[in-house]
Amino acid sequence: MMRFLLLFSRQGKLRLQKWFLPMTEREKKKIIRDMTTMVLARKPRTCNFLHWRDLKIVYKRYASLYFCCGLEDQDNELLALEVLHRYVELLDKYFGSVCELDIIFNFEKAYFILDEFLMGGEIQETSKQSIAKSIEASDMLQETMEEYMSKPAF
Amino acid sequence: MSPSVCLQEMIRVIRGARTQGEERGVIQRECAAIRAQFRQADSGGRSHNLAKLLYVHMLGYPAHFGQMECVRLIASSKYSEKRIGYLGAMMLLDEKQDASLLITNSIKNDLSHSSQHVQSLALCTLACMGSAEMCRDLAPEIERLLKASNSYIKKKAALCAVHIVRKIPELGEMFTPSAHSLLSEKNHGVLHGAVILITELCERNPDNLKQFRKSVPELVQIMKNLVTSGYSPEHNVAGISDPFLQVRILRLLRILGRNNDAASDAMNDLLAQVATNTDSSKTAGSAVLYETVLTIMDIRSESGLRVLAVNILGRFLLNNDRNIRYISMTSLQKIVQTDHTAVQRHRGTIVDCLKDQDASVKRRALELSLALVSAANIRSMMKELLLFLSTCPPELRSHAASGIFNAAERYAPSQRWHIDTILHVLVTAGGDVRDETVPNLIQLITAASELHCYTVHKLYRALISDIVQQSLVQVACWCIGEYGDLLLKGECEEITPMQVTEDDVLDALETVLQSHMSTPTSRGFALTAIMKLSTRITNNVDRIRSVVSIYGSCIDVELQQRAVEYNALFKKYDHMRYFTMSYCTVILEFGCRSRLSLVLGGRGLKAEHVSIIFDCKDNVYLYWFLLQSVQLQMKAPSGDLIPAQGCGTVTQTVLLSYTNKANLKMRVRLSYSSQGTACQDMVQIDSFPSPAWS
Repeated sequence: MMRFLLLFSRQGKLRLQKWFLPMTEREKKKIIRDMTTMVLARKPRTCNFLHWRDLKIVYKRYASLYFCCGLEDQDNELLALEVLHRYVELLDKYFGSVCELDIIFNFEKAYFILDEFLMGGEIQETSKQSIAKSIEASDMLQETMEEYMSKPAF
Repeated sequence: MSPSVCLQEMIRVIRGARTQGEERGVIQRECAAIRAQFRQADSGGRSHNLAKLLYVHMLGYPAHFGQMECVRLIASSKYSEKRIGYLGAMMLLDEKQDASLLITNSIKNDLSHSSQHVQSLALCTLACMGSAEMCRDLAPEIERLLKASNSYIKKKAALCAVHIVRKIPELGEMFTPSAHSLLSEKNHGVLHGAVILITELCERNPDNLKQFRKSVPELVQIMKNLVTSGYSPEHNVAGISDPFLQVRILRLLRILGRNNDAASDAMNDLLAQVATNTDSSKTAGSAVLYETVLTIMDIRSESGLRVLAVNILGRFLLNNDRNIRYISMTSLQKIVQTDHTAVQRHRGTIVDCLKDQDASVKRRALELSLALVSAANIRSMMKELLLFLSTCPPELRSHAASGIFNAAERYAPSQRWHIDTILHVLVTAGGDVRDETVPNLIQLITAASELHCYTVHKLYRALISDIVQQSLVQVACWCIGEYGDLLLKGECEEITPMQVTEDDVLDALETVLQSHMSTPTSRGFALTAIMKLSTRITNNVDRIRSVVSIYGSCIDVELQQRAVEYNALFKKYDHMRYFTMSYCTVILEFGCRSRLSLVLGGRGLKAEHVSIIFDCKDNVYLYWFLLQSVQLQMKAPSGDLIPAQGCGTVTQTVLLSYTNKANLKMRVRLSYSSQGTACQDMVQIDSFPSPAWS
């Protein structure tokens, strides 16, 4: 399973953090610090895989953002690159040519999309269209169905 | 209370702050406003406020006061509030917080909500931060959802079940029947979740393994359909149909086929088909191929299939994509012991990867190269490894050096080659070798007696060209001290002759003594070597005497002590000097006799120049010449004279600082001459009483 997914800028500013395993605030901060240091120190044209403690770290840079995830021993690193790419495609479809600012100002949407794609550190849906449809439907629900929801469901 | 701005406005203001202090100020103001809003019973913009707090949290500021608000929002009937409430719960609450238990009831209710989107929120949150109690509480709900609902919910319920099994493995049996039936679903999301659930169940419990082995044919069929199906726009990635699902199925097959012939047979054809037909020009295909190779190597596959797998890895090594080269080497590393011959075929390519730009690739190539060294290829491999050592990144040097030493020790075709190799390493990377290299090399040199002449010549030449590498300097000094006579003779078969005078040699050693670059240890070696030469040369004994007496007032205590003792040898015991210095080739530990407590540290004691001259008739003088591989602190002896006929004792305390106390043994050997005959006495102390340590 994926242990965590981080998005950070070239200056090391965190734009998104998803933790799939419970960790203390202190541990999280340490991981963020280590990841940003390690990944930002990488030269261009090096491979996208690193080793850190007992985890495999896979990272990819898209424009000004680094997408970085921590995997366990049995996980497939090449597939993780595809997972990161898929997430970027989903964001791109949703925001229309996504850029870092979109993720800054609409961070909660970035999380909602992520939560339709990954769950418990695993992929939950492999079809792009399916995810896009669910997000659309949830957004519609948020905007139009509010009165309907005011009746208790139970 | 100022009206709080909306989320995006707040983000703009925070980003506009020019200093850290200004940002802190803005955030403090906002947090105060948010807190006030939370306290109000009914507030219109509740979800906005929590969203703002979550943003602030992401910047690294404390946000724990928002936890209860999350709980409240989750219980709301508005979808927008639920949505942000659950997000807040996932970000701010984890199983360690008490507040997390409070949302259990809301989750339970939402799991049965009429809207699948609300159910989805609850499932997602449970799978993200559900504690063991929450999982136990809600497991029956999840099990129900696995059976009853639509694909959208089923796939999420499956992953929720995975989380529950990870938290409480015993609950796995609750999900086993549903997991099995989910394999007949058509929806890829559900299938994917089912495969992960089955994988998790099999990894936790060997009984499940037996049961799910029966599903191997079904899994094989699903894979076949994926591989041979036409283009499916929904799941296609670079020509591969749903690589995510394919990889997960392959991983499950690996677990099912491991150590089981029947299961391995059933999947053999499929694996061959996938290995042959998958297009690996893009990452998606390579990911599938990679997983296939891992599976083939881990199950009981036929040898033809294994060869196919290793060849795929070999092809990967030639791929332009660095990631694929890296992956290939990681996999080859795992199988290099079991499939050594197959991997050897790709040795050339692996060695080429030592020259890759990427440090990760270099590291992998180094490990693999070291694993591939054998008696047959040692000479060519060592050439490559030594070349690598001269250009490799500093973080890999130490590993490379010790790998080279190990390989040289195991497969050295000749002693001369071995010594040459070690010298080469010391010249190239002397600063990165471990401490025991110096005594080890000394031992090696001592043992290669036919090569003493060659060795001392080589080392002398190395010393005069460069005295930066301390380990090299130390060995060179020792060697010159020991075999200085061979050096001065000038002839040596295996090396071009070079005329070396006594002055040249003493110059070289004195340079070491005086240089800023020399460590105290190296200086000690140089001084001892100079001293030893006093018995091997004829014309410059006075020069040596004067050097030794100068160092009698050296600031370095160790050096001073040595010099003083050597000086004494010159002055009072000139007749014994030859005797003493001649015995330095023998590896002796310190001798002790009853009251003397000497501590020589640890394993591999290579203390040379031990001399206790103990003359029964005359007096005993203690001369300590120690190799500084151990930290030793010698206090002044209580006296330097043991009266004859056992009428007195001398105590000299030596404090040893040594990290691995368990290894410490003390062997004490005394060599002395009594009425002209050499005698030896030995005592071994295997354990020390604990109060001895502090």
